[in-house]
Amino acid sequence: MTRTFKQSEPVDFVIVGSGASGGVMARELSVAGFNVVVLEQGKRFQASDFEHDELKYWFANGLTNDPALFPQTFRKTSADKAVKSEPGKFNPLMYARMVGGSSVHFTANFWRLHPVDFKERSLLGAIPGASLEDWPISYEELEPYYAKVEWDVGVSGLAGTHPNEPHRSRPYPMPPMPAKSSGVLLERGARKLGLHPFPAPLAIASQPYRGRAACVHCGFCMGFGCEVQAKSTTLYTMIPEAEATNRCEIRTGSYVFRVATNPKGRVTGVHYYDGDMREHFQRAKAVVLCANGAETPRLLLMSANPQFPQGLANSSGMVGKHLMFNQGGGAYGTFEHELNEYKSVQVTRVVHDFYDADPKRGFYGGGGIDARIGPNPIFWAMNGPTARNWGKTYKDHLRTFPRTMLAQGHTTSLAVEANSISLDPEAKDSFGLPSIRCTYKDHPDDLRFAAWLQARAVEILDAAGALKTWNEAIAESSLAVHLLGTCRMGNDPQRSVIDRHHRSHDIPNLFLCDGSSFVTSGRGQPTMTIQALAFRAADHIGQAARRGEI
Amino acid sequence: MDKAAQTRREFLSTAGSALGVAWAAAHWPAIASAHSHAVAAVADSGTATFGFLSAEEARDVDAIASQIIPTDESPGAHEAGSVYFIDRSLQTWQASHAAPFRAGLKDFQAGFNVAHPGIRFADADSATQFAFLTTVERTPFFEGMRAMTLIGLFALPQYGGNRDGIGWRLIGFSDQHAFSPPFGYYDRDYPGFKLPDAKA
Repeated sequence: MTRTFKQSEPVDFVIVGSGASGGVMARELSVAGFNVVVLEQGKRFQASDFEHDELKYWFANGLTNDPALFPQTFRKTSADKAVKSEPGKFNPLMYARMVGGSSVHFTANFWRLHPVDFKERSLLGAIPGASLEDWPISYEELEPYYAKVEWDVGVSGLAGTHPNEPHRSRPYPMPPMPAKSSGVLLERGARKLGLHPFPAPLAIASQPYRGRAACVHCGFCMGFGCEVQAKSTTLYTMIPEAEATNRCEIRTGSYVFRVATNPKGRVTGVHYYDGDMREHFQRAKAVVLCANGAETPRLLLMSANPQFPQGLANSSGMVGKHLMFNQGGGAYGTFEHELNEYKSVQVTRVVHDFYDADPKRGFYGGGGIDARIGPNPIFWAMNGPTARNWGKTYKDHLRTFPRTMLAQGHTTSLAVEANSISLDPEAKDSFGLPSIRCTYKDHPDDLRFAAWLQARAVEILDAAGALKTWNEAIAESSLAVHLLGTCRMGNDPQRSVIDRHHRSHDIPNLFLCDGSSFVTSGRGQPTMTIQALAFRAADHIGQAARRGEI
Repeated sequence: MDKAAQTRREFLSTAGSALGVAWAAAHWPAIASAHSHAVAAVADSGTATFGFLSAEEARDVDAIASQIIPTDESPGAHEAGSVYFIDRSLQTWQASHAAPFRAGLKDFQAGFNVAHPGIRFADADSATQFAFLTTVERTPFFEGMRAMTLIGLFALPQYGGNRDGIGWRLIGFSDQHAFSPPFGYYDRDYPGFKLPDAKA
């Protein structure tokens, strides 16, 4: 029986969201001795609830936000009419609604940012059409917390493997996962081209770790919940450890719709609905929003009141702005012999030789390429390369499934102020709350670099001996799973939402920590950094609370 | 963009038609209850009657599915039970699209009779069927038929369109709780990661 708290008595911290960052925040603050209530919109799944059911999880929103209940709208620019997502299709911004959040169904690629990610404005100068800024923190400041993610959450990998590897204070706690055929081929092709492939860091246990089982290579990571608890989601790691302190309550089915403030300009707690749409109010001494890069700005905007007419923490007008997704494009290669990419974890080898932006290319951008599985069977069948996607010829194409791999690029998105999360003036969700309106158009450099890197992926596949390669053209983003930058961190209260310790510039006892905190997009795989930021933020928030400075 | 988002985008562009699998989301609660019906229908497919499709309609649907994934040296959509998957789907999680489907099938047959008067599509020879389908392959009805056939063929067998794992065997996929290395040909003799300048 885990601890429960009264709504009427202020807890030390209310955390909104139990995902990648909220789980870390809950564990760190409760271990540090604070009383914590975590409010989670979704339900709590057990490992035994998850299935190898592609239809249910990929096509029927079995884990992700359902447009029938929580529709969003999307437009490319403010001149366009925003189009509402339809029941039975997908929302443009996809995330899991459950304890553990999207760390339950993510693919678990865990790249650290590199030192350059934090200071590209200084290194490269301004870029037209973008709001490129340095982070107010450096890689060196975040490094100890990256190590903490690797050891406390559980990341497998191998240190000291490539020249572009960022400095690290500790090795990985677990060896990398065994190489798959796609990894061996990527390594072979990349080395022929003089590149430096390395074992993929993954938040997946390659051996028994902290009471969890090792991966059994079932192949259902991307988009699925792990049935053996080898995936290092906060559902299996941080959340149980937080509850074990007896100072943390995870309250599911709790949909926060307003953060309350008092005349002194401080937050006093949060209003939320339970599953039956009954309204509740949880009092708190401080509030930490870890709701993700879409829901955190939405909640701040929904909390507007006469004292804060633009929404909370929004005197700068920057809440919701600078949304970044990560671009990228892949290339398929078919080989002579079987790879059987449907087995085991999605990725076992990565190339970071193209990580740094290079002004000589004529456009901004950087990224990584990884070797991975092609889609699961239904996706494979629905998305072949041929003009006629049925009949005997297509059936023969489908037979190449075991011999095919994907070299996938993961690339930068520039911060553009017009790309944003706002409240849709018309659309509502099933609770009557304003829908998220997403406005997004890739910066031209994002598309140019993604295409450039896709050409490198094809070269690697060719060098590896592919019999045939093909790829989809790079397209403008209209669907995203990485939700970054919408409450950016910075030293200037006029141009940023939170300070370098994740405290909002405007409200001293309101903290924000998730993908919204990012200043630049990195090169994909943001969860590692989201969690490192959460460990660091929790450290500073706890110290400030002890000093009576909240 | 992550592959997850990209593949979904690709899916939407190819299957966003009226009969796309995305119906599943709106009708998801009904799917689970449809399992037992679909399993029963497939198990009994030799003598099963159809719940929605008429016998004539079912013959046409089966014939179209059999062109989408034909039977060659290995079984195709016919043997996998696609027509039963589609029939059951139109009574359960796709019930709201049953009437448009029926109308689409009627138009399809009428179109076929313009070129081939007095003969049902199902009774034409395979070459004639294929040639006609190439003229309608961009229609919403055919796109929907294609989507339903492929979804049934590669979803869990319990949904009814992947009988005995026929779809999975076609593409060499095996659904198991666990695998162990080596996983494929190229990692079989892989010695483990070594830096290029390391001595073997």
